[in-house]
Amino acid sequence: MTQTSTPPASATVSIPVKRTPTPLRLLENFALPLLAILVYVFFAFFPMSSASFPTMNNLAVILGSQAVVALIAIAALFPLICGYFDFSLGAVAVMTQVMTAGLMSVLGLPLWLSIVISLVLGTLVGVLNGFFVTKLNMSPFVTTLGMSMLLAGLMSWFTGGQTFVTGIDPALVKFGSTRLLGIPLVFFITLIVAAIAWYFFTHTPYGRSLYAIGSNATAAKLVGLPVSKNVWWSFIIAGFIAGVAGVLQLARVGSATAADGGSLLFPALAAVFLGATAIRPGFFNVIGTIIGAIFVAVSVSGLALSGASGWASNVFNGIALLAAVGLSTYLGRKHRAGK
Amino acid sequence: MTSTSVNPGAAGESPAAPGGAGLALSIRNLDKSFSGTRALNHVSLQVRRGTVHALLGGNGSGKSTTIKILAGVYGADGGELEIFGTPFDLHGYTPATAQQAGLRFVHQDLGLFDDLSIEENFALDNGYPRKGPGIDWKHLRTHVKALLDEYELDLDPRTPIRNLRPSDQTMVAIARALQDQDASQELLLVLDEPTARLAAQESEVLLERVRRRAELGQTVIIVSHRLREVLAVSDDYTIYRDGRVAGELVAASPTEDELIEIMAGRAVQALRPTGEPSHAERSPVFSVTGLRGGPVRGIDFTVHRGEILGLAGLVGSGRSSVLKMIFGEHRPDAGTMTLEGAEYRPEAIGDAMRAGVALVPEDRGGEAAFPDQSVTENLAVAVYGENFTRGVMPRGRERTAAETLIADFGVKVAGPEALFSSMSGGNQQKVVLARWMQRNPKLLLLDEPTQGVDVMSRADIYAIIRRAAAEGCAVIVASSDLGEIHALCDRTLILSRGRISDEVAAGDLDVDGLTSLVLREKNVPDAPTEAQQ
Repeated sequence: MTQTSTPPASATVSIPVKRTPTPLRLLENFALPLLAILVYVFFAFFPMSSASFPTMNNLAVILGSQAVVALIAIAALFPLICGYFDFSLGAVAVMTQVMTAGLMSVLGLPLWLSIVISLVLGTLVGVLNGFFVTKLNMSPFVTTLGMSMLLAGLMSWFTGGQTFVTGIDPALVKFGSTRLLGIPLVFFITLIVAAIAWYFFTHTPYGRSLYAIGSNATAAKLVGLPVSKNVWWSFIIAGFIAGVAGVLQLARVGSATAADGGSLLFPALAAVFLGATAIRPGFFNVIGTIIGAIFVAVSVSGLALSGASGWASNVFNGIALLAAVGLSTYLGRKHRAGK
Repeated sequence: MTSTSVNPGAAGESPAAPGGAGLALSIRNLDKSFSGTRALNHVSLQVRRGTVHALLGGNGSGKSTTIKILAGVYGADGGELEIFGTPFDLHGYTPATAQQAGLRFVHQDLGLFDDLSIEENFALDNGYPRKGPGIDWKHLRTHVKALLDEYELDLDPRTPIRNLRPSDQTMVAIARALQDQDASQELLLVLDEPTARLAAQESEVLLERVRRRAELGQTVIIVSHRLREVLAVSDDYTIYRDGRVAGELVAASPTEDELIEIMAGRAVQALRPTGEPSHAERSPVFSVTGLRGGPVRGIDFTVHRGEILGLAGLVGSGRSSVLKMIFGEHRPDAGTMTLEGAEYRPEAIGDAMRAGVALVPEDRGGEAAFPDQSVTENLAVAVYGENFTRGVMPRGRERTAAETLIADFGVKVAGPEALFSSMSGGNQQKVVLARWMQRNPKLLLLDEPTQGVDVMSRADIYAIIRRAAAEGCAVIVASSDLGEIHALCDRTLILSRGRISDEVAAGDLDVDGLTSLVLREKNVPDAPTEAQQ
């Protein structure tokens, strides 16, 4: 084994040394929230956007629209932490959005039943994804991409190319536009889910095992962790949360059209990878993910209100995703190298 | 601390004059500091032409730093360097300079492409021979075949590296490194831990070949933790300790103990058999009867409280498989196991752990390490379930537990939050042991417990294992290192083709005796009656 030539000064260290957070390390951990605030301040004073950007109303719009993306980002965290991609989550969200609307408007089912059926379907997709990946050892990348295409196709068939606008329970739409303290209620739901996810990842054996699996699955198995069961569950939970995201999206928008969900999934992935550059650099984490989602939303909204065309937000999302993956990979490597 | 120059009189032969034709490499007064800490303090290294020179030292002794400076990976702070008589300025010395000067490195990770053929591995290093717009495969094949023949490797150049036995892989890497050696340029081969990944028998084959290259005039520097192997192959020794030269032995034949004493600055007792009555009591903890599965073809044995039981045997004899079946990783085809008087049949690893069984696997990097996680995390991972109380994971308690374990097991690390990958191999292994010992196992299974571990850490690990036994744990050690088996075990089972061929009590045989028992079985044809049982 090649030894790393640590300076021999450490030879006497058996006394626990608390690593004091250096200013640089703090800056690294909190660069992203700082950047989000800077971007916000910039657009608040930028002449072209200063009229409409720094309003309470715009903040509400930003947080409302981002609630759904952030929720999908949290869903994506579960498989990602154990090292698996789930590309079907955007499509799952679209599916529950369309199904909830369709069950009410076409079959006339009550709101609660439509939601329950849709969530069960979303969870079922997670069950299938997990089965393919853990039991049949199929590549998660291709499996979930295929699942995404399949769902988008099925929803096109289900809607017949129509948009469901009528027959949706007004209570749901009312809920979607309700604000508490000036902030949309749906955003609070996202925060609650985020809090539960945070608790899961940091304070339950299950959540902690996901990080261990992501680090070294063989070693995780050899310390008695039920690796394939836990990975399977991560897909199931992801499917369920993405399903909730779809229902919230219906509540906010009030209508449903079949789509492949890419417009939800890719900003969510950008948020997850941006999140891996903050708070616990090099690792996917919940708080970083929420900050990442807000950062993306603030930037896109600022660009839009400054008069940038529609393509600008896609370009921004793309750049943010590339930069985030690059940065988090770099930080991860740096940490693994033990610096 | 002054460096002691050990020079056994009779075998002594003064090193050739500095810069003279006799030296392939001469380093003098080499200094290197890392952020204010002296890693190298005026060290030297004099390698005579056509010899095998061992560079030895514990972790942090500076030998790796020296090799990295030679390779041009680190810059030196000061010192003089001559390679084959040509002086080199250490400022502006790069990997390219090292290459030009004739230094060739083969590291523990061989840098071979496993899926590609031998010839392609050669060509990727040295360029493909061209013929018109294409590749001159025929020329490449003859060229590589000639090289393989020269290195006594009877291999088809088209064989993928993956299909070669481990010692052949290393030898191919060596041949590749030296492929442009000819009359016009002499090369110096640096082998960095060449046998760390090899089982004992494979390293013997490899070192024998290295020895033969040296007899043909090849100069070799070898860095290794395995002293017995180094002793078998080396002419000269340079030993570092704490960044200084602790000893230089020229044309000497020291004993293993002498080398260790120079490396450690003291005699290290733990590496020898204790010679004391063992802690073994007569109460059985664990036993198997008729165990079969994989290469294991029916074995019976019992381990007692406080006993250290050794499993020795060639690769494929079933050493590791026995441990894996006991740990619930593989399900046995047949046989019964008893743990503390009750029938024991683990369906999964979790069952084995709950029953009080622990396994330290052979491949630390692949099967035990969570390299990008902290030491705390690496320790807590085996007790998640136990720690989870009242709906929370007690982070504070995990940290305190980690601090205690780090102190108890003598782990040298910056702190409990330091990353696992930041530690040396020996300290990583101590953390893996601590991970399991915190569960107070009744039965501790160890597979190659000191592979890739330096001598000083090995002594610490032996002490940990003996302490576990003294506290009443039953221990099973599977190892290809018979010196280790000899030093540790109260009783040793020799496995041969999945059967127990011999049982040896401590003190009945020395290392050579054990070796011959293990090797002898290799040539004995399988007795048909036995196979049919």
